[in-house]
Amino acid sequence: MTEHTADSGSNDEVLSRIGHMTRALHESLRGLGLDKLIEKAASDIPDARDRLDYVARLSEGAAKRVLDATDAAGPLQDGIDSTAVELSRAWRSLLDSGEGIDRLPPEWRALAERTIVSLADSRHAVSATKGHLMDIMMAQDFQDLTGQVIKRITGIAQNLEKQLVQMLVDFAPAEIKREFDNGLLNGPQINPEGNTEVVADQGQVDDLLDSLGF
Amino acid sequence: MADPKMRFLVVDDFSTMRRIVRNLLKELGYANVDEAEDGVMALAKLRSEQFDFVVSDWNMPNMDGLTMLQNIRADPALAALPVLMVTAEAKKENIIAAAQAGANGYVVKPFTAATLDEKLNKIFEKMGK
Repeated sequence: MTEHTADSGSNDEVLSRIGHMTRALHESLRGLGLDKLIEKAASDIPDARDRLDYVARLSEGAAKRVLDATDAAGPLQDGIDSTAVELSRAWRSLLDSGEGIDRLPPEWRALAERTIVSLADSRHAVSATKGHLMDIMMAQDFQDLTGQVIKRITGIAQNLEKQLVQMLVDFAPAEIKREFDNGLLNGPQINPEGNTEVVADQGQVDDLLDSLGF
Repeated sequence: MADPKMRFLVVDDFSTMRRIVRNLLKELGYANVDEAEDGVMALAKLRSEQFDFVVSDWNMPNMDGLTMLQNIRADPALAALPVLMVTAEAKKENIIAAAQAGANGYVVKPFTAATLDEKLNKIFEKMGK
């Protein structure tokens, strides 16, 4: 019982001290103009998140293109391989059959032998190429890993934003206005839809240049 | 070598990884592969269709791989199904938790074709005994 009272006593003490600290923090924030900085930080986070989403989206698209290409290249290599097997067998059986072979000029026979060797080389090259295609495919696993990291950072940023906004709502007069960055170094546009200040494709670039007489 | 007709379910929320695993399995001789995006979808497929093997990611929305594994082990119809975890979760406690939940193998991403082959064969060997 006594312990409980002592506990709630110290709890009250903790709460009251947190209250004091919060008030002190609030006053120093305003005094130093930090509330404006927090406001800016909070409003910058959605932009940072959009940029990360953009990176994630582009890497996924690139990985998909690579996989589409390796998927398409595999069967082509298989086709080369089976043709090489077939042709090489056909030449061999023709050469080994003996019928009329001795009457052919020796250069023809030599050429046929060279073709057989070359077909065997093709098969080796096909097998090596398939190995490389496999490596290219496996390397795309980066997209899963970087994607997970980006997802995580996006989550952290979202949380941070929520907390900052909450802090502003709690302590600052609410006049949160988004300051647009009007500089020229904004990088790739990640959300061109609905933003009339940016172009969404090359057609719009060309139209704009046309309208300016270029 | 296990039966090449074996039916695999590949569970991962990233389509890139599902494709990679599917292609690797094909390369290893297993062409009978289906995919699911998360644990919920995987469980639904496992309960409505016949599968012989599950290859699953851990970190997924809706239901993660560990929870899915626990559900599989708790379901008498699925309890014996081999499950290989293929995941970026590389903490010891993750690996221990998966083993305790009844995972048959654990591969950490990024992995190689040889690693996947080796782990699969190890599981087949144990199953054969």
